[in-house]
Amino acid sequence: MINELVYNIAVWLDDTQWSTMLHESYYMYNWVESTHVLTLMLSLGMLFLIDLRMLGYALPDVPASRLAERLNIPMLIGFTVMFITGILLFYAVPVRTSQSLWFRIKMVLLVACAVNAFLFHKRMNESAVSWENEPRAPSRIRMGAILSLGFWSIIVVCGRFIAYDWFDCDTSPNTFIDVISGCVDGQTRF
Amino acid sequence: MPTSFIAAYSRTLFTLGAILLALIFAYGGWMEAIYPPLLGVFEWSESTWFGVIGKTWGAAFAFVEAVHLLGLAVLGGCVIASDGRLLGLVLTDFPVRTVVDRTHTVFIWALIVMLATGIFMACGVATKIYYLPVYWFKMMALGAGMLFHFFIRKPLLQNDVNMLNPVVLKMVAIASIMVWFMVAATGRWIGFSG
Amino acid sequence: MSKQSTETEEIKAKDDQTAALIAAQAFIVFSAIYWFMQLESVRELLELAYG
Repeated sequence: MINELVYNIAVWLDDTQWSTMLHESYYMYNWVESTHVLTLMLSLGMLFLIDLRMLGYALPDVPASRLAERLNIPMLIGFTVMFITGILLFYAVPVRTSQSLWFRIKMVLLVACAVNAFLFHKRMNESAVSWENEPRAPSRIRMGAILSLGFWSIIVVCGRFIAYDWFDCDTSPNTFIDVISGCVDGQTRF
Repeated sequence: MPTSFIAAYSRTLFTLGAILLALIFAYGGWMEAIYPPLLGVFEWSESTWFGVIGKTWGAAFAFVEAVHLLGLAVLGGCVIASDGRLLGLVLTDFPVRTVVDRTHTVFIWALIVMLATGIFMACGVATKIYYLPVYWFKMMALGAGMLFHFFIRKPLLQNDVNMLNPVVLKMVAIASIMVWFMVAATGRWIGFSG
Repeated sequence: MSKQSTETEEIKAKDDQTAALIAAQAFIVFSAIYWFMQLESVRELLELAYG
């Protein structure tokens, strides 16, 4: 039932004029996608520097919490741009994207990253005074950094895989994957 | 104390020579002379096991491409942090020397990852990219970026930063950001071409 | 001796700065020309495509 609801919303979005214009535009889709990919340097670049600092691999003689604080704003600017361009990319091809296994995994992991980031910042703010000048953060903070690095790496891989049609609803023969991907019996739009 | 002009300005003269060589290469016919023989190299690279794996298994190629993007994120982050510090935009609490030196180490590792994954991907689509002008723009930008980073920017920043002209530092930072942005943008455009 | 090494450092810094200025300006000028040409060709194509 949820799959059908998602499919119907995606079809409704697909039928809108702006979705078609974006999808069929000469350059706009390419620019939006390029912006989405290139803004990785800002958003994930800052995030990875913070995570690597917690693990002691980057900027070890810079106070950890102050580094995180200073890089937060450019990182959030990057994530805002990626969020906007991500929504536009979804809006351009809503049916196929909403039924992409990789897109769904990506969305689940984005939620996991948000939870991890909240817990990470909470723990860091509570305890930073005692360890911020140490080259490596305490183990719980390091675990948060490792999870962050891992989740975001998988998100990037899944984002790349969205373009491939291995598990698309009109090509995939596997019932289990069809269910997870949200394929609807008798659907006419792909 | 060096007494000759050449010894005192050796890096400047090398830089001028390199720019002149680049212009002659681009507009003096050397590029047209080198281009045809390179086709054999590209065809050979497609026959290596890198090329065979990349062509046969799309998943392997896509995974390596994703690792290339992760390297891009880290490299871009180092460029933004380091050049942003030179421009006085980010990490202004911390000494320039600390930010530049510490991000340099991470930058090197990210560059190694990107070169390795880039070579793998190039082998998989070698004969296609040989005919793409945007690929050659990327290679020229990458070569220029690496030369700029290791032979101009790094030696400059090894001096006492307080002795350096702030305008020069800002121009170096802007040029560095522009050249690495060009490498990234032309790289993305390869995906839209051919 | 220390005055000599300071002078040497100053000469090296001047050389490095001059080289950096020339290289940076070359990159900035080339990038400006390259991106202007790219945007012009995009504008022309869009004009052809959409009128």
